Amino acid sequence: MKPAPFEYVAPSTISGVLEILGQNDPDEVKLMAGGQSLMPLLNMRLSRPALVIDLGKVADLDFIRETDEGVVIGAMTSKRAVEDSELILREHPLLWESTVAIGHPPIRNRGTVGGSMAQADPASEYPAVALVLGAELVAVSARGERTIPADDFFVTFLTTCLEPDEVLTEIRIPRLAPRSGWAFQEVARRHGDFAIVGATATLRLEAGVVVDPRIAVFGVADRALRFSAAESLLTGQAASDEMIDEVASQAAAAVEDPLEDAHASADYRRHLAGVLVGRVLREAAVRAAEASTGA
Amino acid sequence: MASESPQQGGIRLKVRVNGEHHESVVDPRMNLADYLREELRLTATHVGCEHGVCGICNVLVDGQAVRSCLMLAVQVDGKEVRTVEGLAEGGKLHPIQEAFIEEHGLQCGFCTGGFMMALCELFDRNPSPSEAEIKEVVGGQICRCTGYNAILRSAQNAAAKMSASRS
Amino acid sequence: MAIEIPKSLDQLPTTRPRYVGRGIRRVEDVGLLTGRVEFVDDVVLPRMLHCAILRSPLPHARITGVDTQAAEALEGVTAVVTGEDARRWSLPAQSSPEGWGTHCIAGDKVHYVGEPVAAVAASSRRVAEDALELIEVDYEPFEAVADPFEAMKPESPRVLDAQETNVMLDRVFTWGDVDGAFADAAHVFQEKFRWNRLGANPTETFGCISEWDPMSLDLTIHGSIQSPGMFGLGRAATFGLPSNKVNIISHPHGGSFGGKGGTRGCDISCLLSRKVGGRPVKWIEDRGEYLLSGGGQAWDRHYEVALALDAQGIVTGLKVGLVDDLGATGEAYGAISAAKPLAAFTGPYTIPVAQYDLKLVATNKLPCGPYRGMGPPPHFFVLEQMMDIAARSLGEDPAEFRRKNFIPADQFPYTIPSGNEYDSGNYGEVLDQVLALSDYSAMRAAQAEARAEGRLVGVGVASAIEPGVFDWNAYAIVGMPGTGVPEGATVNIDILGNATVRVGFSLEGQGQYTLITQLVADYFGYEPEDVRVVQLDTQSAPPSFGPGGSRLGVAITGAVLGACERIREKMARVVAVLMQSEAENIEFMDGKFMLKGAPGAEMTVAEVAGTMLARSDLLPPDIDPRPEATHVWTAAGRTPADEQGRAKSYLTAAHAVHIVQVEIDAETGMVEIQRYCLADDCGTRLNPDTVEGQTEGSVVQGIGAALLEEYVYDEGAQPLTTSFMDYLMPTVFDAPKIEMVAVVTPSPFTPLGAKGCGEGAIHTTPAAVMCAINDALAPLGTSAREVPASPMRLWKLISEARNRASDESNDD
Repeated sequence: MKPAPFEYVAPSTISGVLEILGQNDPDEVKLMAGGQSLMPLLNMRLSRPALVIDLGKVADLDFIRETDEGVVIGAMTSKRAVEDSELILREHPLLWESTVAIGHPPIRNRGTVGGSMAQADPASEYPAVALVLGAELVAVSARGERTIPADDFFVTFLTTCLEPDEVLTEIRIPRLAPRSGWAFQEVARRHGDFAIVGATATLRLEAGVVVDPRIAVFGVADRALRFSAAESLLTGQAASDEMIDEVASQAAAAVEDPLEDAHASADYRRHLAGVLVGRVLREAAVRAAEASTGA
Repeated sequence: MASESPQQGGIRLKVRVNGEHHESVVDPRMNLADYLREELRLTATHVGCEHGVCGICNVLVDGQAVRSCLMLAVQVDGKEVRTVEGLAEGGKLHPIQEAFIEEHGLQCGFCTGGFMMALCELFDRNPSPSEAEIKEVVGGQICRCTGYNAILRSAQNAAAKMSASRS
Repeated sequence: MAIEIPKSLDQLPTTRPRYVGRGIRRVEDVGLLTGRVEFVDDVVLPRMLHCAILRSPLPHARITGVDTQAAEALEGVTAVVTGEDARRWSLPAQSSPEGWGTHCIAGDKVHYVGEPVAAVAASSRRVAEDALELIEVDYEPFEAVADPFEAMKPESPRVLDAQETNVMLDRVFTWGDVDGAFADAAHVFQEKFRWNRLGANPTETFGCISEWDPMSLDLTIHGSIQSPGMFGLGRAATFGLPSNKVNIISHPHGGSFGGKGGTRGCDISCLLSRKVGGRPVKWIEDRGEYLLSGGGQAWDRHYEVALALDAQGIVTGLKVGLVDDLGATGEAYGAISAAKPLAAFTGPYTIPVAQYDLKLVATNKLPCGPYRGMGPPPHFFVLEQMMDIAARSLGEDPAEFRRKNFIPADQFPYTIPSGNEYDSGNYGEVLDQVLALSDYSAMRAAQAEARAEGRLVGVGVASAIEPGVFDWNAYAIVGMPGTGVPEGATVNIDILGNATVRVGFSLEGQGQYTLITQLVADYFGYEPEDVRVVQLDTQSAPPSFGPGGSRLGVAITGAVLGACERIREKMARVVAVLMQSEAENIEFMDGKFMLKGAPGAEMTVAEVAGTMLARSDLLPPDIDPRPEATHVWTAAGRTPADEQGRAKSYLTAAHAVHIVQVEIDAETGMVEIQRYCLADDCGTRLNPDTVEGQTEGSVVQGIGAALLEEYVYDEGAQPLTTSFMDYLMPTVFDAPKIEMVAVVTPSPFTPLGAKGCGEGAIHTTPAAVMCAINDALAPLGTSAREVPASPMRLWKLISEARNRASDESNDD
């Protein structure tokens, strides 16, 4: 299980990366962030780039910065750095909780936030979290910089809207609105495995009704999914068990072509999506209620 | 040294491993585990799956536990690597090694290095970890012999030894 | 002169054993923990080449062409071998049943995905894998068969061209008047079960370095080899060599559990070595190869079982129908796993008659091999589910139902209907101990409360036998010839009195070298530091099988104590001469030889050894002056199998009862093990730490079997679980805290009264976990009949049961 031969370069600047990208056939190039998804594919020869561009030495991509709107995380920031960040734990607990659900400590030491976003594995935690948190992803190319809302970023299996000449540089995550409730849950065969299905949600409670619910699942379809119809259904309603059950079953029904593999059939995945959407909504509602009374 | 322009034929690499300086020229596709084992003949780093799941090949890079099968050798250029060979010092076993002996924390011993290196990072970061923190670290590793009960006991014993020696 | 091997600890020549019977620091550990132990992949030999193997992507196809030119031309490649080389220089693999082996590289046809079709020797593994991509193979695909019931039909595609059918064996074994028992029964229960294929997956895969000299034909193999002696005989047969031409050097290995396999890859590396003029060729199986086509895929089984009971709820008959899908060939001895249940067919119960309707079937999947337990774990899974079905139907508590069917303690040695003899046991005591440990009635009370809340909490009670110290006669029904499995040890005392023990097996994890150290230390009044254990290659070692069939602890104890006895006997004669007396007047205790009735007239072992080695002139001419002896131990009283397979086969019968509490998340199907308690009796515990370690490890492997592990093939026989992302072994999060208590009923037949215990809890754990799951599901009126009980399978059962219930209430 050894990689096929490739050339390797580790530029120290983003412009260096862009220059090399421009000089090579994009189909022959792989960008390596933390490598925790790419290295297994290379070892198994399932990915056979002619050139690996290692982003590990690029300056200024490894940071967590607080801004007026929330937090900005450099694409090459490791999951371990997110896990260790007091700021994230305090201000962005949903992001923190989803981070510690990813793999195991040595994987989180190397694996990066940008890497997970750009890899767009349908079972990966971060894309769903980016959806419910309304994250924006910043990409640069020789043509300039653009900011992409998470809702537009994830396209399908292992595919984002990034152009072949673009590099993801940072992720901007707005602060949750005050008194928001949030939740993150997943079902995996074993702790730390890719989830069979996971779900995450945020919402607020105002005058006893749900405001601005955001619901996403992962592991179910070709990409992380947000359920706008279910969100609309819940908006303005009391977070009763009946209502949440209805929203959850509508969300489950809205999944087109659930994935199927050795561990889970399409039916089981759809069912779990409903179960987990129900569970995260209940948990988020409890948190929102606590936040309201606590405030 | 990793260069600014693509290279295939071999890349020069400078690294300190267990305190010793090494300079090598490596094929870019050679992973860190193979580099340690084949080039430096440090064979205490065992390889269990080569796709990052089993954790047997863990080593420390700049103090952090990593899967050495999921890192290229060229990526440790300029870094400090610690392997199982670097645990015992001055003819004395590391407290983690002592603890594994005392608690019967190994049987075949093939996976044990991966557990020890992951725990080594944990204890460096956190001298008195909780049971849950220990379990999170042990949980990233596969052992087929012990059923883990004895490994948890070993980890707790090691933590006690290490915090006793600090105080 | 006959020697007497001590049958209990108090027969050792020591006032009080200081080491045997307790845990000590393992002699293996320092080398393992510092990385100084040399595993086979750590070995680099001069001029060594590296092998990579090209494997079939198709489960069943004609090979119409193999073009290796481009691969041979690649820089760094020294040789390529194909099926042609295999046919020229080797024979089809031996198999069980006979006639079901193929060459190590496919010739005209591939029979399963992962079957080797060519291989490369190159300067590095990386280059060897590059070369594989340059080999072009033309295939003409055939229809494949993945289902054994399809494979048994006459119109099915035939897996092996050389066979007329896919049915390897189809026989009914009947022990007693089974028809009568079922005709007279007050209750008969019948059920079908499915045990899916799983496997050993030791953390180190198989590896070897082969050197086959094309001129002398001498063959030397370094490898991670569980049974070096057997492995050498196998290679001699495959290559048509005299057995003394083959030398096996086994390295310490990273576990095995029967699943090291590797014979095909090893044979291929031998062919490559011969082709490159005898240079060493290393083949390290990678995890992808292991999961696709390595050792230890086992137990792909379809069961149909019936139990007969009398009006008092005593089980009076057992019928087991097994369709065992062995995969494409019989080369990996998967058939043995179907035969071994004969050694404990009726479990711990007094069931007087039984029947085994056994069909071994070939399909286009990887050939099945051995895995820890070697067959009985699925057998006990089905037997224990049947016991629960009966108890539940009769309204009896599963623990008490088992108790009344247990073989009573005063009935040992006890012969079971399938012919084996159980040596000893106290099953009621084992049950009592675990009931007390678990606080069973409190567990049941808590379960009742949880059920009242609508939670799916279950308690499982399961009991099984671990046959220990195997003999070949146990496998006679699948064509394994012979009786007797020798294990030898040479004990040597040097001129300063230090002891060296030479054995023929390598480290594997069970701490056998520590056990040997304990035995010799107590026998000669030594400290562990005075004893060293070394391993020899097969051309130098005493006869050895090594670990397997829960035998080595018992067998090596017999061998080492036998050798110690021989040295004692020889030394007593020497001392008698030196003290001008007779050997019968010399006593040996706590490391000293003493002349009876002459206080102070004594010599230490070191003094005697020194005298023997330095002053052989003082010894009578018929005494060999070396303070050294070899003893080869085999289990006594083993009998050839009769026409129904009945034999005294496994020497010991360990027993266990496990009590497990689980909770199922009804919405997700996920199972949480909330408590795990067990009591077991494996006779005298020579090293309790080792026994507990084996027990804990085998419980967790059993949990893997019950909940996680499965080699999945699709309908077209394509394997779907070829990485550790998909083949799921337990981690610490799947391993409960294991509460244990020991009962000790020594074996009357073995050295020190110890029983085989290495395979351990995997006999009982899958049964116990499944009993608990089915207890949890019982209120829903459904039950799990398939292992592993994956969350999807359980969710399906639960939702179907709930849908049925709501349909019924709608009908009302």
